[in-house]
Amino acid sequence: MRFVDEFRDAELGRVLAGQIAATVEPGRRYKVMEVCGGHTHTIYKYGVADLLPPNVELVHGPGCPVCVIPMGRVDDALAIARRENVILTSFGDMMRVPGGDGTLLETKAAGADVRMVYSPLDALRIARDNPGREVVFFAVGFETTAPSTALTLKRAKAEGVENFSVFCNHVTIVPPLRALLESPDLRLDGFIGPGHVATVVGVRPFEFIPADYGKPVVVSGFEPLDVLQSVHMLLRQLVDGRCEVENQYTRVVPYEGNPRALEVLEEVFELRPHFEWRGLGFISHSGLKLSEGYASFDTELRFDIPGVRVADPKACQCGEVLKGVIKPWECKVFGTACTPERPIGTCMVSSEGACAAYYNYGRFSREPAAV
Amino acid sequence: MAVENRTEQQVLGLIERVKAKPLRFRDEQVTMAHGAGGKATLALIEGLLAPAFGLEELADAAVVGDVALTTDSFVVKPIRFPGGSIGELAVNGTVNDLAVAGARPLALTLSLVLEEGLTADDLRAEVEAIARTASAAGVAVVAGDTKVVERGHCDSMYVTTTGIGRIDDRARLSPGSLRPGDRVLVSGPIGEHGIAIMLARGEFELEAPVESDMRSLWPAVDALLDAAGDSLRCIRDATRGGVASVVNELARASGVAIVVRERDVPVSPAVTGACEILGLDPMYVANEGTLLAFVAPEAAESACEALRSVAGHKQAAVIGEVKAEPPGLVLVETAFGGRRVMDLLVGDPLPRIC
Amino acid sequence: MSACNDDHCITCADEGVEMRVLERGAAGVSVCVTEDGGRADVMTELVGVVEDGDLVLVHAGVAIARLRRA
Repeated sequence: MRFVDEFRDAELGRVLAGQIAATVEPGRRYKVMEVCGGHTHTIYKYGVADLLPPNVELVHGPGCPVCVIPMGRVDDALAIARRENVILTSFGDMMRVPGGDGTLLETKAAGADVRMVYSPLDALRIARDNPGREVVFFAVGFETTAPSTALTLKRAKAEGVENFSVFCNHVTIVPPLRALLESPDLRLDGFIGPGHVATVVGVRPFEFIPADYGKPVVVSGFEPLDVLQSVHMLLRQLVDGRCEVENQYTRVVPYEGNPRALEVLEEVFELRPHFEWRGLGFISHSGLKLSEGYASFDTELRFDIPGVRVADPKACQCGEVLKGVIKPWECKVFGTACTPERPIGTCMVSSEGACAAYYNYGRFSREPAAV
Repeated sequence: MAVENRTEQQVLGLIERVKAKPLRFRDEQVTMAHGAGGKATLALIEGLLAPAFGLEELADAAVVGDVALTTDSFVVKPIRFPGGSIGELAVNGTVNDLAVAGARPLALTLSLVLEEGLTADDLRAEVEAIARTASAAGVAVVAGDTKVVERGHCDSMYVTTTGIGRIDDRARLSPGSLRPGDRVLVSGPIGEHGIAIMLARGEFELEAPVESDMRSLWPAVDALLDAAGDSLRCIRDATRGGVASVVNELARASGVAIVVRERDVPVSPAVTGACEILGLDPMYVANEGTLLAFVAPEAAESACEALRSVAGHKQAAVIGEVKAEPPGLVLVETAFGGRRVMDLLVGDPLPRIC
Repeated sequence: MSACNDDHCITCADEGVEMRVLERGAAGVSVCVTEDGGRADVMTELVGVVEDGDLVLVHAGVAIARLRRA
């Protein structure tokens, strides 16, 4: 049996579900946020919420580094893609994210050379294979993905690949969490922490959550049993009155994270003073840009970028969904003006966004009418 | 304006009602999503093509009297892949559209658009493949056309076929005929063709032992008609958009809900592994030799047995059931014990797959 | 490896795939394989020197951690 299959065992799932049911206090409601899109995906793919008692509610967080990219930045990418001689490379995830001016997919259909890649290394290869063209990599992702961009840039520098640059939209995990926690209308009891980001940054960066805000955290793996176990550990903390960071994902996450990865990030990137997050506004020190040593690979320095800020549509209530104040279906435009095909805000843009996940997978999963 | 106090059920009801309406074609230009076999394709067909030609029921083949007629284009890239090539795909794909309509395939026309510079060897190889596959499927290639376009204006070759068949006496098939209680059968492991194509493209460094499942489905359909006859509601081959698309189309056409049990769906470990790396769900990946059959409950087991006895289909299985409500919804019971909704595909994860 | 379909977005989902090192290569790139046979080139320099048979967690073409079986 594959190592990962041990963490998908349905029988064990039922056992854990029983333990959770036995742990919760009747009459008390628990609202737990899973930060990371990967956990949202697991919860929906396996129907994990169906194994939880009705007084435990999972709220899906802002852990989608693609869909928090503001519309204006997407427009910048479109402008770059439309330049003659540019090959814009991007993860498939970004292709349908709408800016004010359309999506990458539409821009590609209109004739721009936009290519999907599976890793920034693929983009570098395209640059080597096309010496007469300018190749731009649209970099997105948290600290989990940033090391991949960093290693690619190091290679580009070492090999002297001049026709390659990075349009950097990497973001970091702690600032948006802090921004969420600062919000007065926050309605959450605890957090399922992002397991793969923690693989890089370690467990320590999350200590501020219990320390400064009094909410427990459990850093979790991504298999359904991991998530169930993490929910159990979190509920145990709440019932026992403890408040700390626990690591459920010890088979992968070391307390100190990955020091080599952190070194590489330190070398290649630096923090922007602030960065705009779709649905959450401007957050200080939450975005990465290329450091001085790599400035020659910075797309924003190499090309003129429009840099126009496009405001989130007025009808968008993503901020409230992200804070757990309202549920997706309670948003006034959910399912009508805002659908997965025509998304308005962050929560609907990617399939891991709270609204898209609920719309695509979650509706009818609990006690459907006659099914 | 006062804030509406909608309940969750009301919101979900509204979504289902909106989804049940015929799709409108509102895009400003054609994108790859329109070719993917998912929502965009359906919008193009329901919103533009069907109204323009006055078509009401959409099926794999048209029936005129007892003659079935179907047409298909093949733009698969690359033209050769593990398990087959574009020529073989063209024959089998068209044969299959006839077969799942309950028609014994008789003849094909063959139209070739060739790219300037295509080598004679490559062309000869495809022509021979077409002849071989047609012969094996028991169909004659009776008419055709050939055109050539400049270098760069098609990828090696595009193939278009029209197939003609005779509706079998035993067939009483219709996509609108599913009833609560009916069972869903699959004829074999899913996702093989799509993954084989992705790997053949070599766009990323991934190797796995996966071959296209491409084959003629007539023997399987023949066996089903024999075993289940009137109890057979509908058969579909799960091509672009995969199993998920077929199940969604049928749920919509019949106004029923369908529940699929993930644990019962056969998938090979190699396809599972490749899908995991690529972030794909095998339910949405194209097949070219795998069908779904919808059968009345009393005939389901014998239909499944009959399928298993046909070469190439020994992993056939009952994978789900039709329910009354809510109409048009497809639910998956996960292997883990939970549930999720399985909607139509929205974008185009695997372009130029067939 | 990062990929996207409308079901699941690997970057967003911060997905990591468990893989076993098949062939340690030069310059920090090794050939790795999933237990279902999917093979890929992976940059392994962030997890130090790997040996054939080591289990690693891979995201966007890079091994970010070693897997420790309990």
